[in-house]
Amino acid sequence: MSARTSVARRTLATPLILSALLIVFALLAWFVGSKPFNQTIIDIFLRVILVVGLYIFVGNSGVISFGHAGFTCLGAYAAAWLTMPPMMKQTLLPGLPEWLTALQLPYWAGAGLAALWAAVWAALFGKILMRLSGIAASIATFAMLAMINTIYSNWEDVTGATSSVVGIPIVRTVWPYLIAAILAVFIAWAHAISRAGLALRAARDEPTAASASGIDLPRERLIAFVVSGAVMGMGGALFAHSIGVVTPDTFYLGLTFITLSMLVVGGMGSLSGAVIGVLFLSVLIQALRWLEAGVTIGASKFALPNGVQEIALGVVMILILARRPSGLMGNKELGWRRAGSVAPDVSGQKQPDLSKGVSK
Amino acid sequence: MRRLGADGVTVAFDGLTALSEVNLAVAPGRITGLIGPNGAGKTTLVNVLTGFQAPTGGAVTLDGTALTGLKPHEIRRKGIARTFQGGRLFRDLPVIDNLEVTGVGLGQSRRAAIAEAEAMLDWVGIAALADRIAGTLPYTDERRVAIGRALMGRPGYILLDEPAAGMSAAEAADLAALVRRIALEMGCGVLLIEHNVGLVLELCDHIVVLDSGAVIETGDPAAIRASEKVRHAYMGTAAEAQMPEGVA
Repeated sequence: MSARTSVARRTLATPLILSALLIVFALLAWFVGSKPFNQTIIDIFLRVILVVGLYIFVGNSGVISFGHAGFTCLGAYAAAWLTMPPMMKQTLLPGLPEWLTALQLPYWAGAGLAALWAAVWAALFGKILMRLSGIAASIATFAMLAMINTIYSNWEDVTGATSSVVGIPIVRTVWPYLIAAILAVFIAWAHAISRAGLALRAARDEPTAASASGIDLPRERLIAFVVSGAVMGMGGALFAHSIGVVTPDTFYLGLTFITLSMLVVGGMGSLSGAVIGVLFLSVLIQALRWLEAGVTIGASKFALPNGVQEIALGVVMILILARRPSGLMGNKELGWRRAGSVAPDVSGQKQPDLSKGVSK
Repeated sequence: MRRLGADGVTVAFDGLTALSEVNLAVAPGRITGLIGPNGAGKTTLVNVLTGFQAPTGGAVTLDGTALTGLKPHEIRRKGIARTFQGGRLFRDLPVIDNLEVTGVGLGQSRRAAIAEAEAMLDWVGIAALADRIAGTLPYTDERRVAIGRALMGRPGYILLDEPAAGMSAAEAADLAALVRRIALEMGCGVLLIEHNVGLVLELCDHIVVLDSGAVIETGDPAAIRASEKVRHAYMGTAAEAQMPEGVA
C-alpha cells in the first residue's frame, strides 16, 4: 500500500548537503592554514551550532525566543567548571563544591555534560514558559535570559561575577567544532522529522485545529525547547573552549540579536535557512572587515572607513527581508531535486510575527 | 449505554447566557442534527462537547462518565473528533500530512499514521489530492480533507460544524452521501450542525433545535418540519425558503 519512501530517507539529503557545505568551510581553513582565518572558521561553526539550536525551537514552534543565549551561558560556565585546572578554580571560583573543584574533564566530556545541564534548565523553565503563546512567550523567554545573566553576573564565588573567568583549556583545531556543528544539524533534522517536530509545525499555524487533532501543544513545545536548549548548551561550552575566557555579557543581548538575525535572514522555517543564514552573514561580515582593514590593489591601498561593516550589514539585512520576508530559504529545504514542497504563494504566511503584514 | 451527551450544559459569559441547561445525546451509528438561527449557541455547544469551552453548569458525558476538566487534545484521544467552520487545515502542509498529524497526535508512529492517512483519503474519495498543499485547495475539497483528518483513528463520534456552508446543491448531495457512510460504514456517531435545514431534515435520525441558547424542540425530521416553535424561531430568517416541503 505505502509506495511512499520513509520520511527519513526522503529528507536525508538536507542534513547531508548542509554537512558537506560545512566540511568545505573546514577544508578551506585547513588549506589556508592561517591562524586568524582558522579562528574565523571556528567562529562560523559556533554560530552554526547556536543558530541551528535556536531554529529547533523557534523554527518549529513559531515562537520567537529571546532567551536562548541564556542556555549558551549555562553551557559555557558549565564547561569552565568541568574543564579548568583545579588550581585555577580554587583561586577564581572558590565557591564551587569540592568535588567539582577537583574534577577536570576533557573538553568533549565537558561539552556533553554542559548540554545536559542546559537541557535540565530548559526543562524547568520550559515547564512554565511553554503554556504561554505568541508575544507573551517571547517576553517571558527574555525575562529568563535576564535572570540567568543577573545571577551569573553577581554570584562571585561560583561564576566570578562580571570579571572574566580565564584558564579554560583552548581548543584550536577546527575539527571538533565541525563535528559539533554537523551533530547539531543532524539533531535538528531528527527532531524536525520526528512526531514531535511534525506536530509542532502543524500547531504553529493552527493551534486550535492541532489540539482538536489530539496534539498536546505545551508538551510538544517543551520537547523542542529542551532539545534546542541542549544544543545551545553544547555550543556555549565549545564557545568557551574557542577563546578560553567567559564573561556573562558574552552571552547576552549581542549574541541574542546576532543569532536571531542570522536565523531570520536565512529563513526561520527552514533548517537549511538557519545554516545558510549563518554562512551568508558570516562571510559578509568577514569580507567587510577585510575591506575595513584595507586591501592593496597595485600601488594604492583601498580601505573602508571604520564602522561601515555594521552599517552595511544592517542595510543588507533590511534589503533581504524587504525582498524576501521569509528569509533566503523561505520554508524550503535544500534537497537533491528542488522539492517544491511548499508552494511559493503560501510560504510567506508560515513565518511568525516578524514577517506578518509584509506584502510581497 | 453508549452515547456522547450534553447533560444540562450551561455556559454564561459574564451576564450573557450562551447556553442554558442544554441536553443533547449523540448515539453511535446515528446522525443527530443540531439546527437553529444565527447566534443560537450551536458552535458554543460544539466547543463545550470538545473541551474548547468549559461549561459553567452541567457536564459532558461519554458513556456515562463525565469529561469535566479534560483538555481538547485529551477529549480527541477519547474518540470525540470535530471539524471547524472554515476548515482550519494546516495550510502549509500537504493534504496527506494534514491527516498524518492527527494520527501522530493520537499516538501513532509516522509510518503508521501515513498508512492510515492514505487509506482514509481513499475512503473519503480524495486520494488524488494527497500531495497538494492544503492551502491551495478549493473550498469543497478543503471540507473533505477536514473530515478525513477528523476521522483518523476511527473516532466514536464526529461533530461536523457547518460542513455544507457555501456548497452548491450537487456538492451538498455528495457531502450528504459521505456523512451517511460515516455513520453506516464506520459506526460513528455524527452530530451535524448546519444552516442548510433541508440537508439536516434529509440526513438526520434525530434533530435538536436551539434558539437563544436553549433547546426549543427535539424530534425526528417529520416532527421538526411540523413544529410551530421551529417555524417561529426561523421567522424572518428566510426559514420558509430553507425548509423545502418536498424533502423526504
